[in-house]
Amino acid sequence: MKKPQDLNDAQWQAVTHDGGHLLIVAGPGTGKTHTLTYRIARLTAHLADDQRVLAVTFTNKAADQMKERLEQKGLPTGKAGVDAGKFWAGTFHRFCAQLLRQQAQHTDLPDNFQIALPQQITALAKDIWPDKTMAQRQAALESISLIKSTRLALDPDADFRTYHRFLRGKGLIDFDDILREALILLENNGEAADATRRQYPFVCVDEYQDINIVQNALLKILSRDGVVLTAIGDPDQSIYGFRGSEVKLFHRFTDDFPGGTRLYLNENYRSAPNLLQASGQVIGQGGKQDNFQLVAQIHSEGRLVVHEAATDRSEAEYIAHEIEKMVGGLSLLSNFVRRHGHVPRTFGDMAVLYRLNAQKICLIQALEHLGIPYQASPTAGQAGQALRPGSGQADDAVLRAAEETLDYNVEKVSLLTLHAAKGLEFPVVFITGCEEHLLPLDIEGMTGDRQEERRLFYVGMTRAKEFLFLTRAERRQLFGKGMFNGPSPFLADIEEELKAYEAGRRKKVKPALAPDQQMKLF
Amino acid sequence: MRFYADLHIHSHFSRATSKNLDLEHLYLWAQYKGIHVVGTGDCVHPGWMKELEEKLEPAEEGFFKLKDKFAKSMDAQVPPACRANVRFVLTVEISNIYKRLDKVRKVHNLIWFPSFEAAKKVQDKLEAIGNIKSDGRPILGLDSRDLLEITVEANKDNIFVPAHIWTPWFSALGSMGGFDRMEDCFADLTCHVFAVETGLSSDPLMNWRLKQLDPFILVSNSDAHSPPKLGREANIFNTEFSYRGILNALKDPKDKGLVGTLEFFPEEGKYHYDGHRVCQTRLHPKETMAHKGLCPVCGKPVTVGVMARVEALADRPEGEKSPRWRPYTSLVPLPELIAEAKDVGPSSKQVQETLMNMLAKLGSEFHILMDAPVDTIKRSAGDIVAEGIARMRQGKVTIVAGYDGEFGTIKIFSDKERQRIDRQLALF
Repeated sequence: MKKPQDLNDAQWQAVTHDGGHLLIVAGPGTGKTHTLTYRIARLTAHLADDQRVLAVTFTNKAADQMKERLEQKGLPTGKAGVDAGKFWAGTFHRFCAQLLRQQAQHTDLPDNFQIALPQQITALAKDIWPDKTMAQRQAALESISLIKSTRLALDPDADFRTYHRFLRGKGLIDFDDILREALILLENNGEAADATRRQYPFVCVDEYQDINIVQNALLKILSRDGVVLTAIGDPDQSIYGFRGSEVKLFHRFTDDFPGGTRLYLNENYRSAPNLLQASGQVIGQGGKQDNFQLVAQIHSEGRLVVHEAATDRSEAEYIAHEIEKMVGGLSLLSNFVRRHGHVPRTFGDMAVLYRLNAQKICLIQALEHLGIPYQASPTAGQAGQALRPGSGQADDAVLRAAEETLDYNVEKVSLLTLHAAKGLEFPVVFITGCEEHLLPLDIEGMTGDRQEERRLFYVGMTRAKEFLFLTRAERRQLFGKGMFNGPSPFLADIEEELKAYEAGRRKKVKPALAPDQQMKLF
Repeated sequence: MRFYADLHIHSHFSRATSKNLDLEHLYLWAQYKGIHVVGTGDCVHPGWMKELEEKLEPAEEGFFKLKDKFAKSMDAQVPPACRANVRFVLTVEISNIYKRLDKVRKVHNLIWFPSFEAAKKVQDKLEAIGNIKSDGRPILGLDSRDLLEITVEANKDNIFVPAHIWTPWFSALGSMGGFDRMEDCFADLTCHVFAVETGLSSDPLMNWRLKQLDPFILVSNSDAHSPPKLGREANIFNTEFSYRGILNALKDPKDKGLVGTLEFFPEEGKYHYDGHRVCQTRLHPKETMAHKGLCPVCGKPVTVGVMARVEALADRPEGEKSPRWRPYTSLVPLPELIAEAKDVGPSSKQVQETLMNMLAKLGSEFHILMDAPVDTIKRSAGDIVAEGIARMRQGKVTIVAGYDGEFGTIKIFSDKERQRIDRQLALF
C-alpha cells in the first residue's frame, strides 16, 4: 500500500509498524487521532471473521468520533470505510462493564448489579457513615477512590469495608470497581482471558499518559500471547495525577510490554508558530516529560494577548467584548468588522477556559449581558433512568452521564475547565485567571501538584490555533472570599516578545478609595 | 375587510429599545398610526411572554386584543378621530449567527405564530438550544435552515419570514453577512419560505429585479424599537380579519388578500448607498466602483449598501414586475414631514404639537398621509404642511441617501420655497 497524502512520514511509520507493541509519543496537534484511526483501519485487514480491534478511548465522546472516522469513506482499507463489526471503540469502563455483564456468572458480583454515578454515591454517603460530617464523608470517599485506582493490592480499613458492604448490599458497584472487578475476573478465569484475547488480537489505547495502575494491569493481561498493543499519548499532557493516573507508566511502556517500540510525532498542524513557541517555553521550564520539540507546520502568525483586569468581573467583561469583536458585532449598533480587520468568527470557534468551575459564574454573567450564546461544561446528568437497571444499555447511559460533554450542533462559546478542554481545539482560546493561587492551584484545601498544574496550563495553551488570550484579575471573589492575586508564574515563562499587552475598555475610574476602605470591601 | 398590519416590532425586552415599548403604548400608537394589526415582537422571551399572557385575550382566530382593564388606561389619550380596534399577533425576530460554507453568516429571521401554544413550542426548543432570556431578539448560533425546520415542525401554520433581506450585516442576502441566493441560506427547506421582508432600505421595485425572489411575496414592516416608529412600513390586507386571513394571503399564490405595502423611500433607509459612517464617506455604487470598493478616506473596503447589492444580484431590467408583485405607496413619516415643512427638528415641541393637533382633527397618520383631502389638511395644519403632503403623494421629494447605518435625510422644500409659501400664508 502506498502512503496516503494526508500522512507525514512519521505518522505513516506509526500506521504501518509491524514489529510488536508500539508506543506513539504524540504532542498536541500532531495528528494523534488521525494516525490512530489509520492504524486501526489498517489492523482490521489482519483480522479473522470473529475478531475485532479493541480501541480504548478516554471518553465516550472520543469513542463516538473514532467510530465516525473509521466508518467514513476513503480510509486505507477501501473506499467504503471500516465495517462497524471490525472494531469495538469505547472507554476502559465501558469495555470492562460489558465484560462483567457477559461473564457475570464468573464474578462475585450481585445479579443485575447496577453502576452508581459518583454523585449518587455522594448522596448515599450519609447512609453509609451517619456519624461522619459531610467533609469527613467526602474525604473518605476520595481516599477510597484514590486507593482503588492507585494500588493493586488493597489493605482495607474500617471505612473501606463499611463502604464496600453497603454498596454490595444495594447491588451497586462504583466506577473504580468496574475496572477492578474486570481485572479480578481476567486474572482468575483463564478461559475468559483467553477468549477475550482471541477476540481482540489488537488493542489500541488513546491518552496513554492518563492511565492508572489498574488500567495498566488490565492491558498487561489483554496484551499477552501474541496480542499487539498500540498506545498513543503525550506525557506533557498528563493531567489526571490527582485522581490516580501515573505518568511514570508511560515511561515504563517498554518494560511493561517487552519488545515494544517507541515512535515520535512532532509536526504540529494546529497552532500558529508563535503560539507554539510560547507553549513550548512554558512546558520547557520544567515538567517536560519527553525530550523532543514540536515543529510548527502552520506558517501564518497567530496572536497572543495578555490582559490584566482590575477585577474578575472586568476580566469577564473584557472577554465578552473580545468575543463580540471576534464575531464582528452582534447588532446593528456594534460594528467592529472593518476596524478589527480580521475575518469574523462564530461562537463555536471560541473557548473560554478556567482552572476551577467556580470561576465561570462571572463569565456567564458577562456573556448573558451581551446575549452571547455559550455552553458551560455541565455537571453530570441523570441519564439511564428510563432504561432497565442492570442492563448493558443502562450501563452505557450511566457511564456517558458521568462525562462533561457539550452539544456542538448549535454554535456556542464553550466554557470549559482546563481539564475538560483536553483533546479539543479552537481558533480562539481564552485562559482566564492566569494568577498565582489559581495557576498553579494553591487555595486552602486545594493544592495541585506544581508540575501537573504546569502541564494543565500547557494543555490549555495548546488548544489555540490562532488567538490565545491569557487574562487575569487583580481582585477576585472565589467561594465567597475576596483575594488579591499577582500574575501566574507561568506567564513569566513566556518571553516578552511573544506577548502583546492589551488594555480593556477602561471605564471612567471612580476616585480611588483609601487603602483601608478597600480592604473593608472584602 | 381592509386592514393595515405591522408585524415586525420589538418590546422593551430587546436591546436598545425604549422603556415604554409595552402593550399599552403599542395599543395607543397603533391607533395614532392607523394600524389594525401589530406584531407583539419578542414573544419567545419569557418575561415578555408573561406580560402577553397577562394582558392579552383571544379575539378573532389567531388575533389577540388588549384586555379592557389595560386598554382603559390609554383610551383617554386617543382622539376620537383615531379610535379603532387594535389586534396583536404573536411574533419574534431571531438573530442567527453561524458558519456556513466557511463564512460567518448573520441572518435575522421572523417567526409569526397562530397561537400561544405554537409560540411556546418553539420557545421550548430554542430554550434548550440557547439563551432566550438575555435579549428579546435572541442571538443563537443556529443555522437559519435549522431554525426554519424547528418552526415548520412545531406548527404547520407558523409563518417564517427572512427579515429585512438586504441589510448588509444581518440578513439572508446582505452583502456582508448573507448569501447570494435564498437557496444557499435555506437549502432543502427554501420551499417553506413564502414571504420575505424588504426592509427600509429597499422597495418592491428593487426586489422585483431578482428572479430568485419570484416565489416569495414581499412584505413590509417597521422593525420599530420605540412606539412612535410603528408603521414606518406596513402591509395592506383586504381579506378575512384573522391570522388565517394573513396566512392564506401570504402562502397561497392565488390569494389576493395582500393588496399592497406601505414603504419608506428606500434612499431614506440606513443602508441604501455605500460608504463608511466613521469616515463620513457616502458613495453612490458608481462612485464605489470608481474607488474600487475602497473608502477614499481610510482605504479599507466600504460597507456595501442595498442599492449596490441589489444591482449585483439583479437579473431583470429595472421597471419589470415580478409575478407576485403588489402595488406599493412610498411615504415619509408624518413627524419628519412636519419637521421638514417647518424647518425644525423632528422631535421638537412644535412638531409634536402639530402632530397631535392633526391626529385630533383629521384622524390617524396613515389617513392623513394617504387619504385626507389636501384642503382639509390645509385648514388644520397650514399651507406648508399640506403642500408637503401633496408633494410626497406625488413622489416629489429629494433625499440625501442613507449609508453605513446613517439614515437618509428628506428634502421637500428649498429655503426659498419655504419663504415664498410663508409669504403667501401671511397674505391671509
